[in-house]
Amino acid sequence: MSRQIEYRDALREAMSEEMRRDPRVFLMGEEVAQYNGAYKVSRGMLEEFGPQRVVDTPISETGFTGLAVGAAMMGLRPIIEFMSWSFSLVAADQILNNAPKMLYMSGGQFGCPIVFRGNNGAGGQLGSTHSWCVESLYANVPGLKMAIPFDPYDAKGLLKTAVRDDNPVFFLESERLLSVKGEVPEEEYLVPFQQALIRRPGADCTIVSFGRPLYFCLEAAQALAEDGIECEVIDGRTIRPLDIETIVESVRKTNYCVVVDQSWPFASVGAEIASQVHERCFDDLDNHVARVHADDVPPPYAYNLEQEMLPNARKICEAVRSVTYNA
Amino acid sequence: MSIEITMPRLSDTMEQGTIIKWNAKEGDAVSAGDAVADIETDKATMEMQVYDDGTIVKILVAEGDTVEVGTVIAVMAEEDEDPAEVAASVNVQPAAQTTQPKQAAADAGPDETVQTETPVQPVMPAAQEPAPAETVPPVGAAQQIVAPATDGVGDGRLRVSPVARRLAEAHDIDVRTLQGSGPGGRVVKRDVLRAVDAGAETAAAIPPSAKAVVPATPVLLPGPIVQAPTVLQDQIVPLSNMRQIIARRLVEATTTIPHYQVTVSFDMEKLLELRTTLNEQLAEQGVKLSVNDFLVRCCALAMYQHPEFNASWGGDHVKIHGEVNIGIAISLPVERGGGLVVATLRNADQKSLRAISLETKLLAEKARTRGLSIDEMADTTFTISNLGMFGVDHFTAIINPPNSAILAVGAALQKPVVRDGELTIGYEMAATLSLDHRVIDGAMAAQYLRTLKGLIENPATLLV
Repeated sequence: MSRQIEYRDALREAMSEEMRRDPRVFLMGEEVAQYNGAYKVSRGMLEEFGPQRVVDTPISETGFTGLAVGAAMMGLRPIIEFMSWSFSLVAADQILNNAPKMLYMSGGQFGCPIVFRGNNGAGGQLGSTHSWCVESLYANVPGLKMAIPFDPYDAKGLLKTAVRDDNPVFFLESERLLSVKGEVPEEEYLVPFQQALIRRPGADCTIVSFGRPLYFCLEAAQALAEDGIECEVIDGRTIRPLDIETIVESVRKTNYCVVVDQSWPFASVGAEIASQVHERCFDDLDNHVARVHADDVPPPYAYNLEQEMLPNARKICEAVRSVTYNA
Repeated sequence: MSIEITMPRLSDTMEQGTIIKWNAKEGDAVSAGDAVADIETDKATMEMQVYDDGTIVKILVAEGDTVEVGTVIAVMAEEDEDPAEVAASVNVQPAAQTTQPKQAAADAGPDETVQTETPVQPVMPAAQEPAPAETVPPVGAAQQIVAPATDGVGDGRLRVSPVARRLAEAHDIDVRTLQGSGPGGRVVKRDVLRAVDAGAETAAAIPPSAKAVVPATPVLLPGPIVQAPTVLQDQIVPLSNMRQIIARRLVEATTTIPHYQVTVSFDMEKLLELRTTLNEQLAEQGVKLSVNDFLVRCCALAMYQHPEFNASWGGDHVKIHGEVNIGIAISLPVERGGGLVVATLRNADQKSLRAISLETKLLAEKARTRGLSIDEMADTTFTISNLGMFGVDHFTAIINPPNSAILAVGAALQKPVVRDGELTIGYEMAATLSLDHRVIDGAMAAQYLRTLKGLIENPATLLV
């Protein structure tokens, strides 16, 4: 039995290994140093790398992300931890308006090799303003990359790739997954971007998702399999760049596609994938691509309403049955 | 306002249709849904319904006549009209109509009220109609939905999912024959797959199936061959339109034509030698003559010499044809629903072996892939049915009306023969001529066969 570690530890291993490998890499954010990380992701890193490279910041996202942009332009490779991606919104000018465009605007003189990472998605009764799923909002911007790890293996492998990437990478973790344990090899490995993974093979319907909702997809696929509907669950892994080929190949086989995206439906990642599938697989589809999103409302606080508002296994089952004419 | 009934487009490839039979005559009152005529297309014979109540006041195209799709074939008076008045107002110009292109009208969508033509439709269930459960679409057969008036769920549009359309094309299934199970009657993948399965079952029901369990490598087993037991089941195989036509025509042929048969054996030695020589010398030019190509030429030349063979029974007369058109029976692959068609080699007596070979190949290919047009199957004066390639010794065939004879050809087989008083090994081929005794008497048949034998056994004649 190989080594099982938590998602949070996989993230830390990725950061620590990259910081050992490359002295330009440093970690900065609220509570990352003295407190060992708000979610204990950076536990022990201050001890190993010292306060020069593991930097606590005030509650000032605009300030410290701006600092990261400047540092990156001057040749460092910052990792910026947002306690929650909900807090990144105040730094929108830095992360959306500066970082992704800098390489372009400077005619290639200054890049912004920054990893912005933190918890994304409803954490569980955190209310409307702290339950953001930013993937659709941010993925709209050219010049950035976006990765959403599903399990500890990908958390480590994708984060190491993110640190080595010369573009700003938006790395969307999940508070709900930090304690998930999974197999992570001792030896070094990288998970390349734009390489989707089939988490469960099936011939009857393709389900595409990213990050935490994949667990609901797998739960739905298990339930549907008992009724004889075999779903192929695809983990896109990175939203930008998107591995549409793997999705297309699967849809050509199954003729049906359900996209599960925890952000809102309007102008979303789900809408983009549906559109690309329609463009690429028109003659292979037996029905339109179905989408399962968070409902188009601000996230409720009440537990039952929040669960109902988010994508869940029941909604995914319903979508698959409907789209495959098995409703 | 009178209603014009036009020749419907009943298949993709249909350009013209033949009125086989009018089931209503002028002056008959008809109701919506009545099948007023049987129409033969290039693929099948189908009933044609009217969609209005009224009275047939004028029939413009007679039984047996062929007209272009869209041609007005009859005129109806509506319920509240005086049939006599409508009849008087009909300007009969059938000749002009047969050439008038009306394709646009036939293709017009539901919202294009091009003219007051009544939509007609085959009686087969259409996508928006509830079909009986046992309906299995005839594979390879085609029919049309001419958008009917809005009723219930459907707005008359044919809804087909993209992959269903693609699958149907791949399996040569006309989606318009399918009952859609999706929303609004949309034809979806599973509807096509069911039709494919149904077609495969139909195919499997034809013994002996090509799919019969044949081990890839022969295995010697000590006892009886043990296989996973295939459970045989009772099956109702619905008739394809082609099967219906075959049934109708052959029953008609066997019950109305006084058949008799004459069998003769041919020494094939020289013909086979000639064939080998020609194929060797012409291989570079892509020429590969079959035994059948030789037979077509032999039969056609013999027909030329015996014009009384090139004839049809006409009830009170015998019609001797001015063209020698040899029909070749072509079996269709099971994927296309099986069955057979007879392709026409026109003026075969005037064609070289090379031309016959090429044309036969093209016709057979087209028959097996896209289907033949009516022209390509019409006007035969004699038919050859060859089962020689299957190793058949000899058999008898049923005459293909309006022909008066059909030649059933077996295989050229090595046999002990007596030649110049010596027993030796030769190639012999038996062929059986079925004849219509109303047209051709036994002695005439014997003379024809003597001529044919002379041609086959002295094949140099075929070259010069």
